[in-house]
Amino acid sequence: MGIQETRLRETALYLGREALDGLIAVNFGHNSFLESHAVFVLSGVRPIGESAVVVDRSGGSTLIVTPAWDAERATTLSHTEKTIGTDDLPSALARVLAARSIDLTKTVTVGLSTVGQGLVQRIEAVLGGKARSNESFIRSLARIRSQEELAAASKATEIAEAGYQHMLACVKPGMREFELAAELYCAMKQEGAEDNFLLMSASQHNLAVRAAGGRILDVGDIILSEITPCYQGQFVQICRTTLIGEPTPLMREKYAVLQRAMRAGQAAAVPGAAVRDVTQHIDDCFRQAGYGDYCKPPYMRVRGHGLGITSDLPGDLTVESEGLLEEGMMFVMHPNQYLPETGYLMCGEPVVITPQGAKALSSREAELDSVAA
Amino acid sequence: MRTVNPSIVIGSYGWDQDRVPRDEFQLRIDALNRVMDQNHWKAVLVYGDMAEHSALAYFSNFTPRLRWGMALLPRKGDPRLLVSMSPRDIPAMRLMTWIPDVHSGWNWPSVFDPWLAKLDTEGAADIGTVGFDMMRPPLFTSLQQSLGNRFRLQDGDAQVAACRTPRPRARSLIRAASSLAAETADVFRQSWVSGKGVEAAALDAERAARLRAAQDVRMLTSHDGGRTLVPFRGSLGPAPGGLAAYIAVKHMGYWGDVFVSEGHALQPAVESALDAILASAAPDVMGAVLHAKAIEALSRTALNSHALHPVLSGSVGNRIGYSPDEGGRLTQDSDDMFKIGDTYSLRVGAHDAGGGAFASAMVAITSKGYDLVHRSTAPKKS
Repeated sequence: MGIQETRLRETALYLGREALDGLIAVNFGHNSFLESHAVFVLSGVRPIGESAVVVDRSGGSTLIVTPAWDAERATTLSHTEKTIGTDDLPSALARVLAARSIDLTKTVTVGLSTVGQGLVQRIEAVLGGKARSNESFIRSLARIRSQEELAAASKATEIAEAGYQHMLACVKPGMREFELAAELYCAMKQEGAEDNFLLMSASQHNLAVRAAGGRILDVGDIILSEITPCYQGQFVQICRTTLIGEPTPLMREKYAVLQRAMRAGQAAAVPGAAVRDVTQHIDDCFRQAGYGDYCKPPYMRVRGHGLGITSDLPGDLTVESEGLLEEGMMFVMHPNQYLPETGYLMCGEPVVITPQGAKALSSREAELDSVAA
Repeated sequence: MRTVNPSIVIGSYGWDQDRVPRDEFQLRIDALNRVMDQNHWKAVLVYGDMAEHSALAYFSNFTPRLRWGMALLPRKGDPRLLVSMSPRDIPAMRLMTWIPDVHSGWNWPSVFDPWLAKLDTEGAADIGTVGFDMMRPPLFTSLQQSLGNRFRLQDGDAQVAACRTPRPRARSLIRAASSLAAETADVFRQSWVSGKGVEAAALDAERAARLRAAQDVRMLTSHDGGRTLVPFRGSLGPAPGGLAAYIAVKHMGYWGDVFVSEGHALQPAVESALDAILASAAPDVMGAVLHAKAIEALSRTALNSHALHPVLSGSVGNRIGYSPDEGGRLTQDSDDMFKIGDTYSLRVGAHDAGGGAFASAMVAITSKGYDLVHRSTAPKKS
């Protein structure tokens, strides 16, 4: 039984426990790498447009995709019992609910808060204001990655690392940022990345990373890259720092602080650990190095975060987090940090929680890399 | 044409004041002011997200690479741009717009309420909205809380869209985008002819476009000779049958799109159907008429395959510009009329059990008919 079948079965059990008839999961056709894609989690399909999955208490399930012409592809990929293509999602949804004899007063929705309100209003008109919502159901259901999902995440990590190696091979002064981003993006797509949340920018003294622009790379630039390919629905992220030219001893010394913070975070991230405590362990390394005042925005944002499109849990790694880590959770840990002597530096890996701590999926930990000037 | 939305648009964005100077935006805002005056609106709020931001880009030049942006455009007073990015990202966002006052929208009340307080109003007032159907409910709830009972929102999508007239600078940029789309198609075709699989050829084409500063590249390819089109699936090896793919390329804010299609017996039929549309393309011609011309031509030449290819969703084209679909879809029941100055993407496709074929063109409507911006396949000379 695949993970989608397992989750469809667990959804049906949830409906039974809650005395509900049906669950409606929706998506707007967006693919946020920071959010759970409820339709993908249940069906295994990333539809092109707005979509829904209906699950009933007996375990029956229907995927509804737009546009209608995408139905053949979706049917091939979907793990639901049925698949329908339409150009009018609310109308198709009404038909499916009627065909499955689902009592709208015993229906729960997931994902409506992530959908444009025009579509929300049309779906709510179908539901007659009778359904309740449980926005966190799918992200909670999928918070532990399955073995097949971890295998896909490992493959995505291989793609990320191969992409980075390609970037190291082709970067040179005089290139524009967008040209380097194009090389990096296409190299990873060639390896199978179906999407990529790629941030890559450079400066002599970075304040943060951003999407690539038209800046011409120069000797002495520090290239920051947040490389985030998606493979079979699994986004992973590696964060890398690359100098055009030879790093100074001071830069190596400062980068080592990030590496220590990464290792401290990994060691602390065991099942049952509080996310806030893991964050504190990371921050402690910066405090010990004299950068306690920099452990806050705008000098950093978060120490890591969940990865869509399966589940964004455990959420952001911050000292305010209420989350707890569980074995099998997968997310990115990145003690990226602005330091006054060097500017913003990046160091991060996709990790999976094990009893021994957060195990990196990448084959080597981030180093302060350099390429010839 | 619907394509998969990426998680982020990675191309190079900025405000090129050489191509779209400040006075161009002033002209656009002047037209918007007239709409506000006609409707007694104190302001217009223009919302856009990563997937659809045509109006937002038109008035602000800003494109959300991810999440959303909203231009707060008052009839009197200073505009403000809110973007769903962290405060440390705002300096980079400022490079993409003429609006100097840019803020993170993450702390909504602190950036929206003070702007709202400056609106010149006595008693209740109306504010026009654009793109609000795409807004997520939690943000709309925050907005409503800020507005309270003092302001009423009025849907301004249609009226604001009507005031958007492509001018020469925009038409020049559309031609540039079209040119890049055509060059991308050429790379695709050459790569495929050299023996590469359809997705490998698509990747060559995408790389070429991105290296030429494409801001976004969308593709659908066929692995069954054109019978169906699908998003990227990572099958880089050769596929049987002819070539069929859809390419859309964004450059300097504007889209161009094109089909590549070769090797299927239906190709002459779809070319004839495109010829039929082009022969009738002129100002004030109704969309349904053009659709009928295409179907009639297909039924004359394509034997049993006189229906449009399903991937076209019943349309033989639409306006194109800041969005690959600016509306005006040319369907069986379309009463939308060609207007001088608009640029249309036209397309015809047909399929049978063995595959499918497509032909496309981009045309700028002129007083004398149209200027051909590009055509997917030049018709063979007799």
